[in-house]
Amino acid sequence: MIEVRFHGRGGQGAVTGVRVLATALYFEGKFTQAIPMYGTERRGAPVVSFLRVGDRRINERDLVHEPDMVVVLDPLLGRTVPVTEGLKEGGLVLINHPRSGREAGLGGNFKVSTVDATDIALETLGRPITNTAILGAFAKVTGMVSLGSLEKAVLKQWPGRIGEMNVRAVRRAYKEATEPVNVSDREGVKVRPPGLFERDVSSWRVFRPEIDEEKCVGCRRCWIFCPELAISMEGEKARINYKHCKGCGICAEECPVGAISFTQEKILEGRE
Amino acid sequence: MSHWEVMVGNKAVAYAAKLARVQYIPAFPITPQTTIVQYLADMIANGDLDAEYVTVEGELTAQASALGASMAGVRAFTATSGPGLLYMHHPMHAVSGARLPIVMAVIHRSVKGMQPDHMDMMAQRDTSWLMMECENSQELLDTGVMAFKIAEDERVRLPAIFSGDGYILSYTAEPVEIPGQEEVDAFLPPYRSQVPMLPELAKECREYAIAQWGVGEDPQLRWRRQQEAMDAAKTVISEVNEEFEERFGRGYGNGLVEEYGCEGAEAVIVAMGTIASTARTAIDNLHGRGKKVGLVKLKTFKPFPAEEFRRIGGEVGAIGVIDRNISCGSGGIVFGEVRSSLYEMNGRPRTLEFYAGLCGKEVRVSDIERIAEKTMRAASGERVTPLVEWV
Amino acid sequence: MSKPIPLAKLGDEEFIDPANQACQGCAGSIVARIVSKVLRDRWVRQEVACCGPALSNIWAPSVYAEIFEGAGAMMTGKSRAYKAMGRDDVIVAGIIGDGGTVDIGFQGLSAAAERNENFLWIVYDNEAYMNTGGQRSSATTAHASTTTTPIGALSRGKREPRKNVPLMVAMHGVPYVATASVAFPEDLIGKLEYAKDVKGFRFIHISSPCPTGWRFDPRYTIKVARGMVQSGLWPLYEVIDGETIRLTYKPRELRPVREVLKMQGRFRHITDDEVDEIQRRVTAFWERLIAKDGGPLF
Repeated sequence: MIEVRFHGRGGQGAVTGVRVLATALYFEGKFTQAIPMYGTERRGAPVVSFLRVGDRRINERDLVHEPDMVVVLDPLLGRTVPVTEGLKEGGLVLINHPRSGREAGLGGNFKVSTVDATDIALETLGRPITNTAILGAFAKVTGMVSLGSLEKAVLKQWPGRIGEMNVRAVRRAYKEATEPVNVSDREGVKVRPPGLFERDVSSWRVFRPEIDEEKCVGCRRCWIFCPELAISMEGEKARINYKHCKGCGICAEECPVGAISFTQEKILEGRE
Repeated sequence: MSHWEVMVGNKAVAYAAKLARVQYIPAFPITPQTTIVQYLADMIANGDLDAEYVTVEGELTAQASALGASMAGVRAFTATSGPGLLYMHHPMHAVSGARLPIVMAVIHRSVKGMQPDHMDMMAQRDTSWLMMECENSQELLDTGVMAFKIAEDERVRLPAIFSGDGYILSYTAEPVEIPGQEEVDAFLPPYRSQVPMLPELAKECREYAIAQWGVGEDPQLRWRRQQEAMDAAKTVISEVNEEFEERFGRGYGNGLVEEYGCEGAEAVIVAMGTIASTARTAIDNLHGRGKKVGLVKLKTFKPFPAEEFRRIGGEVGAIGVIDRNISCGSGGIVFGEVRSSLYEMNGRPRTLEFYAGLCGKEVRVSDIERIAEKTMRAASGERVTPLVEWV
Repeated sequence: MSKPIPLAKLGDEEFIDPANQACQGCAGSIVARIVSKVLRDRWVRQEVACCGPALSNIWAPSVYAEIFEGAGAMMTGKSRAYKAMGRDDVIVAGIIGDGGTVDIGFQGLSAAAERNENFLWIVYDNEAYMNTGGQRSSATTAHASTTTTPIGALSRGKREPRKNVPLMVAMHGVPYVATASVAFPEDLIGKLEYAKDVKGFRFIHISSPCPTGWRFDPRYTIKVARGMVQSGLWPLYEVIDGETIRLTYKPRELRPVREVLKMQGRFRHITDDEVDEIQRRVTAFWERLIAKDGGPLF
């Protein structure tokens, strides 16, 4: 039996993705168990789900503590969530990341494969829902499920045009997933789990607002409309505290003078 | 100064709340408890009790608003029966979960009609409320006053029900001694909420709320703490009963059970509430005929005093349990608890089950005499059948 | 009567921590920030099940008790207790979801209003039971797709028009009822400022679009909220003592509802006939509001 743990954020489709994969595996004659971990269902908040795959009915009902494989749907999640905890020696991590496996911020006695699922999702779906792209990469790097079964499962979940868009995501990811590479000589990024009322939501962002101070007229509309109080007024100019910014885009949308740009966040090592 | 009055049981309950200086009373009528809240309305209207009285729209709101009031910082009390008690099941769990020492009078009413049995209270037995049954109006008044002291004790901090059979007690008049207010004030200190629910305590409240959520803790710990409080309540109940007896001259066994005629008994019967009251006469009659049988009145149902039954079980050959309730698919609830408490004993006594008084069916002295005699035959080693009997 | 308060007049003091666990673009978070800015350090908060526990960044004291239907009951108990304790400086208020107000909480709401209990009931209305994944409530706009009123061969979304709870509450004759929107913060703040020190039952019902449940990009939360108001789908008014009604936002012309509905994925399926049905209802209601504006409620 193989056990996989999936890490994502609410809204990236981690839970649905695992179910689709379980369906695809079923088409190939496998027994599966897809287990979501429910908290309050929030877009952006970390979520975990588990998958067990075997040749006969699976009886274990506890959680997966020592996965053979870990799948991470979000490139920065590993900074606040210990995504490789319990991963078996010589295991595999598949992570949504624009760079190679050795530059994804992970290190330890396992291999890492990457795919830029955010980019693929934005291109094929128009939204950063990375689950189907990740599944395409999963099929490629594990060989556990064929592309055909996966596409069939995707179309079953999402009929019509949406399904076809998702199939394109699957196929592109299948092509672009990088080969798993060894990271036993690398040091992973230090995991800083959030405190009880953690205020740092910067890793939720896919897009980033920037205020052009020259253009800002101090009307305070971005300040009052920011759901996270990430914007404060310094004199008559609005300023963003990026630690508190989830990248929702309301400020950019509501600024009456177009002083706020909203562009895709770059995934770099060491950004704040 | 105390004084005597001939009054119905519901009025005795109202007096208990008044003497305890309750500050928040959500009131909703249901037969046979309605007059309790009406007496309280009169007392407030005449300036004899200073309390916020709210005619709520239903029992669920009665209990949920009592939660709000108790959390904010005042002593809260309500009364209900039968279906009204069932209706507030949801907030009852919230109240005990929040460790709020609300006291509630339950005037028993069957869930299959208006007449009394213990199904209403038994349906709530897992809500982590203390449950103390009374056999007459005096005991209702006394237990009501004691309930606040027990519930609010630091070692307990759980809500409490004190109860009695509807009609039989609620509307029957008998002489009751009402303690003086000063004497009760000396016995029962004012209430203090443990919840920092005031604007100036915002920081403390956040810490409190985190602790309530049990964040980062073994999730089972919250239940474990409630169970430990229930266990501690046994000691507190006995202490409070003892103190009450010293101050007011009336005692109820050790507060958990009261034994009547058990010295040298070969068998005992177990009953709660008014059936226990009637049973005293049955026991007297049997003693008159030389029969060695006693009555164990179960006063505190929750926490269940298993140790008392192990002690008593070691001295008799048979225990006949009278249940004014049934958990369909299993059996009588007190019977199950008594049996369970005896299980680990070597040479444990026989146990017999008797359903009596459900849906208010009358339970007569002669019925109880027959129950006791059958239990005695079992104690003597005779093979008695059936072990379960509908009286 | 309330008066809108310009943003420039608001101080910089906050009574809430930045960033919470709610979705990106959550209007409820905006409501929480605005309410805590107005009520400052003078209130205790009531929570019931809703997305609200995600709003745990509010500073006012609050302890969650598991009684979804009990907002009215628990706020009654609290406010009566503070009265008994001689603490009439304490404001009791709750930011309650639409479910806990208009459906499971409705009995408690009506009864507390009828008794004129002394607290402020604030509804942040995202038109469904969003915390549990988006099931319809009686506050959901007609024809919206929700998880319990999905679109299928035999189902065209929610059948019933939304229940008009603000007017129902106003008919209890309570001191203050108002509707508001996150897109009109000056109006909302003015209403909160007015309501906070009124004694008796106050009710402010705030339209709070939900990007996750209404299916639009989070950047459009305010744009959608503005559209709801400008089209008459969510008119802004207040009622004093259940007697006088006053519109607080009165455009010369309403925007067509079609534009606003089409911004939201939950109406993606909607037909022209269904839009017309909604438009007729909205226009008729608006005309009655205009006729009554400044005068008696009925």
